[in-house]
Amino acid sequence: MSGAEDNYRVSSDRPFLLVLAVLGGSYLFLIAAMVVADLIFLDYRDRPVFGPEIVEASRYPGDASGVKITLESSRRYYYQGGRNELGFRMGGNLIKKDGVFDAVEEEVLLVSETPEGAVTASFRPEVRVVGIQLHEGVATLRMDLPHGLLWGEFIRVRDSGSEFWDGVHEITDTTQDELSFVVGEQSKIVNALSLSRPNPLIQALRSRDIQFSIKLSLVSCTVTTLLSLWVAIPIGYLMSRFTFRGKAFVDTLLDIPVVLPPLVVGLSLLILFRYVPDWLSDAVVYKWPAVVLAQFMVACAFAVRTMRVTFDQISQRYEQVALTLGCNRQQAFWRVVLPQARGGVLAAGTLAWARALGEFGPILVFAGATRQKTEVLPTSAFLELQAGRTEGMLAVSLIMIATAALVFVVARTFGMKRIFS
Amino acid sequence: MIAVDNLSIRQGDFLLDGVSLELSDGEYGVLMGRSGCGKTTVLEAICGLRPIIGGRILLGGRDVSVLPPAERGIGYVPQDGALFPDMPVWEQLAFSMLIRKIPKSQVEARVRELAKDLGITHLLERLPVGLSGGERQRVALGRALAVKPRFLCMDEPLSALDEDILEEICELFTQTIKKENVTALHITHSKAEAARLGDTLFHLVGGQLQKVGPNEE
Repeated sequence: MSGAEDNYRVSSDRPFLLVLAVLGGSYLFLIAAMVVADLIFLDYRDRPVFGPEIVEASRYPGDASGVKITLESSRRYYYQGGRNELGFRMGGNLIKKDGVFDAVEEEVLLVSETPEGAVTASFRPEVRVVGIQLHEGVATLRMDLPHGLLWGEFIRVRDSGSEFWDGVHEITDTTQDELSFVVGEQSKIVNALSLSRPNPLIQALRSRDIQFSIKLSLVSCTVTTLLSLWVAIPIGYLMSRFTFRGKAFVDTLLDIPVVLPPLVVGLSLLILFRYVPDWLSDAVVYKWPAVVLAQFMVACAFAVRTMRVTFDQISQRYEQVALTLGCNRQQAFWRVVLPQARGGVLAAGTLAWARALGEFGPILVFAGATRQKTEVLPTSAFLELQAGRTEGMLAVSLIMIATAALVFVVARTFGMKRIFS
Repeated sequence: MIAVDNLSIRQGDFLLDGVSLELSDGEYGVLMGRSGCGKTTVLEAICGLRPIIGGRILLGGRDVSVLPPAERGIGYVPQDGALFPDMPVWEQLAFSMLIRKIPKSQVEARVRELAKDLGITHLLERLPVGLSGGERQRVALGRALAVKPRFLCMDEPLSALDEDILEEICELFTQTIKKENVTALHITHSKAEAARLGDTLFHLVGGQLQKVGPNEE
């Protein structure tokens, strides 16, 4: 028998650990890659103000000679190659990289390696300011080409030599080749300036709509979190400590907001508010309370789960001792149980806050997407996307990532303090 | 006097029926029995932490069967001490007095007295985390005795202790309990512990309580 045992070997643990590491690692990699991709995709530099596209729709000739593009020398152009282009030839050099360049010749040659293919490159001239006017504190600039900027966008002014002019301004009026912005009554006319478009992040942070949505998001998420804890702590305690008839039913009911599609939550709220008195539904539906209520319905369910698990993990023994020491149940809860549940309360709060920040569907249905009224950050991202501004959407997403990260860091720091004290 | 008269307790499918027990004032009773035989259930019923379905519990002649635990005047030392994790030792000792809003000077004096008797004066500012098993049990005993209850229920308070300090803690427990003049009921599954501590021994076998009689050393 002992001889047989001597020959007994177990196979190595390495394959098992390797599988664990690969499975876990791939997910971790995806998380990190996702955030990093967001961060590096956005071009944080200012970009010049460009005029309209100057390449006409055409095809490359069969003999690989290329397509001639006529430029104005001594103007700057923005080149972006497409899928059919190798680059363009200027002054004997083949330039392959996308970006801004100074035209040194009147003519450049687009080169392709696919004869007869469509021209997919883009050349856009930088617009120049040809006239500066000042009238009652409002500057109006005239350009030599259509600038494509819209009312409400932001423009950065440089090199004017005046502190009133330099800086980021909101565009208050535009025509095809003119744009206006406020520089203030005290400012004087300047002779020259250069323009650039600030990056989408600055555009987003300066936009009054998005400023409002950041504020509404922060306030509504915080209110939602406080409400959720207010409700989740008692429910969690009740469900953890007491048995009563219909407990299983209550438990199921509490999970409904978790499993219900968020859009349906919004719709159900909307329908519910058809049955309440008019003054109440007028005060809530399509107004900011609807935002909070929509967030609360979903976020609270997660907080309740967390609080229940928290209380389940705290032994009843502590309360029992407190009871024999002279407490009633309420005193035992406040003095003995709740202090031990601090970590759980923090976790539940953070979870509720994060859920509320990302809530979109129910808010869209129940509160609408009115700018300056019920617009929260996810709504902003959605509106940016709808307006075709992917970069704007990304900028809003980055703001959300930053906000969420900040809240988590703060929560973790407080959590750590408790562990290390 | 602790008197349990024909007590019935249900715990899930498990029924304890007709449990009777009597301890006169100042007596140190030890309740023995195998794990899972219901010792803890009886103790919890006496402390008021478990509802009873029949019988009576008399403490010092007063029927406490339906009183909340707080009003029974029993000190309770659970198995692992169950020290409140967020409170320093002095606050654990002061807990029952703070609840009763006893003046601060009296609380301080009592905490100091208990700490001195139990040899934990140097631990007063510490949190329970990091205390040794013996230290935890001393704090738990001090906490239970703080408001001078006349009765004390202990659930295997010494079972988790190392052999080499057991003697010392046993000595300390008996001394303190004698000094405080409480009637104590102590649960254990260890015969050696029972022999060392108890005046009176009870055996809980098959849901029936048998008095083994005064402990003869």
